[in-house]
Amino acid sequence: MDVMANIVYPVAGLIGLYAFVSLASLVWEGIDRKLVARMQRRVGPPLLQPIYDFLKLASKETIVPNTANYMFRAAPVLALATTIALLAYTPMGFEPLLSSRGDVIVFIYLLTLICFFKILGAISSGSPYAKIGAAREAAIMVSREPAMMLAIFAIMWRLGKLGVEKPFSMGVFYQHNIWEIGTPLSFVGAIILLYVFCVWLASEIEAGYFNIPDAEEEIAEGALAEYSGRYLALLKLTKALKTYIGASLVVSIFFPWGIAGYLNLSGISADIVNLLFHTLKVFILLFAVQSVFRATTGRLKITQAVELLWKNVLPASIIGTLLIAMEVIM
Amino acid sequence: MSLSPLVPTVLRNLFKKPATNLFPRAEPVPVPENFRGQIKYNVDKCVGCRMCVTVCPAGVFVFLPEIRKVALWTARCVYCKQCVDVCPTGALQMSDEFLLASYDNYDDKFIPLKPEKVEEIKKKLEEQKKAKEKAKAEKKEQSKA
Repeated sequence: MDVMANIVYPVAGLIGLYAFVSLASLVWEGIDRKLVARMQRRVGPPLLQPIYDFLKLASKETIVPNTANYMFRAAPVLALATTIALLAYTPMGFEPLLSSRGDVIVFIYLLTLICFFKILGAISSGSPYAKIGAAREAAIMVSREPAMMLAIFAIMWRLGKLGVEKPFSMGVFYQHNIWEIGTPLSFVGAIILLYVFCVWLASEIEAGYFNIPDAEEEIAEGALAEYSGRYLALLKLTKALKTYIGASLVVSIFFPWGIAGYLNLSGISADIVNLLFHTLKVFILLFAVQSVFRATTGRLKITQAVELLWKNVLPASIIGTLLIAMEVIM
Repeated sequence: MSLSPLVPTVLRNLFKKPATNLFPRAEPVPVPENFRGQIKYNVDKCVGCRMCVTVCPAGVFVFLPEIRKVALWTARCVYCKQCVDVCPTGALQMSDEFLLASYDNYDDKFIPLKPEKVEEIKKKLEEQKKAKEKAKAEKKEQSKA
């Protein structure tokens, strides 16, 4: 219980993770744009384009509408701050820096809070177009979370039955995983939950069907209509980080295996190798859920998207949860 | 949710070459025959018949009566080729040039007949006139004598 182990190392780790993840997530955005371009037989921008975009936006003049109140300026900063805080609770190939009992609630809370700050910023701008975008964002947000929360709580509860030291912590995925339960029913349940999480991830990162609140062609660019310059740069970075974090969650639930064990590494080098391998898995997952989904589907109407999330994804989540929990309940 | 029918196409495309022209690094797409590029004006062939002034829908041409030529400002041209079709001497021709972006509306490349050149032609004409008058006067004197 010394200062070094409790404060200095986590802070250093968080700063390191933040630097790495912001770079990796922006590079992924570049890879995504390149891949979608190649799927449409275009060449696409250079891989580092999102970084150039970020720098350009950060250097541009920031215009604040005179109808905006102080939350308009505060929301992008708070959203990015929340995202950085969330990094401390995100499993990235190793146990999260601040993992403790029950921190799954913190994880879900912070992940939703990012969205909430974005909505707050949009409704503080005074623009009715941004308000409509914010209303849509809110509708999607409340529709997508229940299915994901049910699934993640069920999985954590089921893994807790296998014996873990910190139940309901984001670290449990690295002690037991969902495929270890071993019964055919749980296997089918896991596949169904994988579907649920993929749809959840797609709606979280607004890809394909769910590209509704921010889409350029929607009502005057939706929630981000009034943002420019530095604030827009912050929100874009937040979105890139959130994409990485959301995918990290799905990867750590369903594909938590690391390669450091096979390479006989330990300590910090094992963590770094696992982080890089985790990043590779995140990229592969995002390729399926973001790039291909984005390239092959148009967006739904807001009513259709909400309907899909309540009538298709939530029931799937309930069925998958029941199948996972089956042999414990009976 | 069924799988989108585009998925196989898209994944196949991923392994094909991009079907694009990398313009600043590569040559632009070649122009077809009879491509309507920027107008080229041959001052020496021009006889000043004013047909192009009549037919031009965009008002590119201004007739210069002293020298019996036309002045052009091709920044306003709509590339309809009517002046080329109507020109009796072939002084106006379409070229293949189409990379005409410019910072300046009055760039030299939009003005084939420059004011200096007009002055030059004027001087030449005057000299010719004087020479002719001189020759005439000499002839008169000769015939008198």
